[in-house]
Amino acid sequence: MRVQFATEGGVAFFPGLSKPTVIDSADLPEDDAAKLRQLIDSARFFDLPEASRALPKGAADYRQYTITVEDGKRRHTVRLTDPVENSDLQALIDFLRSYKAPGGPSSGSSEKPKKNVRAKGS
Amino acid sequence: MCTRTHHRHSIFCILPPNILRKIAENGTPAQRSDALQTLATDQTFRAMRADARLAAARRPQGPSVLSAEGEKQRTIYDAGHQQNLPGVVVRAEGADPTGDEAVDEAYDGLGATFDFYWDVYQRNSIDDEGLPLLGTVHFGQNYDNAFWNGQQMVFGDGDGELFNRFTISLDVIGHELTHGVTQDEAQLVYFNQSGALNESVSDVFGSLVKQFKLGQTADQADWLIGAGLLTQAVQGVALRSMKAPGTAYDDPVLGKDPQPAHMRDYVYTWQDNGGVHINSGIPNHAFYLAATNIGGQAWEKAGRIWYDTLRDSALRPATGFSRFARLTVTIAGRLYGPNSPEQQAVHEAWGEVGIRTTLPTTTTKSGGAKTTDKTKGRGQ
Repeated sequence: MRVQFATEGGVAFFPGLSKPTVIDSADLPEDDAAKLRQLIDSARFFDLPEASRALPKGAADYRQYTITVEDGKRRHTVRLTDPVENSDLQALIDFLRSYKAPGGPSSGSSEKPKKNVRAKGS
Repeated sequence: MCTRTHHRHSIFCILPPNILRKIAENGTPAQRSDALQTLATDQTFRAMRADARLAAARRPQGPSVLSAEGEKQRTIYDAGHQQNLPGVVVRAEGADPTGDEAVDEAYDGLGATFDFYWDVYQRNSIDDEGLPLLGTVHFGQNYDNAFWNGQQMVFGDGDGELFNRFTISLDVIGHELTHGVTQDEAQLVYFNQSGALNESVSDVFGSLVKQFKLGQTADQADWLIGAGLLTQAVQGVALRSMKAPGTAYDDPVLGKDPQPAHMRDYVYTWQDNGGVHINSGIPNHAFYLAATNIGGQAWEKAGRIWYDTLRDSALRPATGFSRFARLTVTIAGRLYGPNSPEQQAVHEAWGEVGIRTTLPTTTTKSGGAKTTDKTKGRGQ
């Protein structure tokens, strides 16, 4: 299963935060792969409409999230706009936002691992 | 088009909608009936009703109390780390501080923004009609953003690693609420240049809200947007700098501040709605230059020019940088006189960021005045 995730918008544009994330579940530790699949299933991702809402008039600085999931023959893209009321989708977005590719740039803040990313494998 | 045939008096066919509404409200039963019929059936009025419904839908679901002019009506909500808006009421207008920093900062920031617009420009809230000010805090989990949803402000808590809570910065609060003012006045489309202007207007008045609160002159202001929002761990001072676009941060995770300060560095991109937070650096810098050139407290003259520009009917939703710039110069001349120091400061400021505008007269390098036909308003 392959997931592509991009965030756009917000109060400012940060080049370092604007690159899409690409995850291949085959590369993930088993726990994370299972978690990702569970989040996508709980959100009933493949049944979701492509766009969550028309943009409200006059709105600004909101974020938008584009998630594409390829699973076997199925491929679906969903574009969500703040607020994301669905708590399953929130959880999926949180997981995707926290994901750090192996060997990728570490957070500039500290050595400690970001929460919720890589469970210690056995 | 006026098409009805069954009304009692033909006068109802030619009355404009605002008068029809007054009759509908205040007339005799017969007059009210006719006015209402006219309003109901006319095609143009249908479109206006749809617009009014939109406006009504935009109004928050609060108590519809008619407040006296210049009276704040703030309500702060707690979203409890979910994303359902608005959340639970935690502080209403006049209530004591709660001890929750986000709640109290939002309350104070909404108040400071209201006070700024009222005291400086006699603007009665965002819509100049006393719109209640709503803010939701503790939105989402580690939500490192704040936004205006068309009806209210929404603040996240930040992730604590890169970003602090978003209520911490008064200019960001002013920035967000100013999106409501722009929505009310100009409806600048949130894409490409008009979107960058929309963003810039929010930065300008967001900064002025802070400067006004602190009683600063243009020279004393830091001209930073969101100073205090980035944690100590981040290599940066703010989200943006109006004084020096492109210098606000340079960090391994965030990247480098991409803002240009001049049209030669304009960023063409599909990201960020066509770069609305990026290219806003150019008009931001023009405002900074105009304000510091004019001197004194930036909200008085430079701010007044920008405010009147925002409200001018010549400012259209799709207006770009050039037209906006020319409008500010025109309005500066209208406010302070043709070729006044204020108008010249605005003209020069735009010139310094690479946008040409013209003054009514120009002076040759030798110092002699070269006058042109003033009625045409053209430069050399």
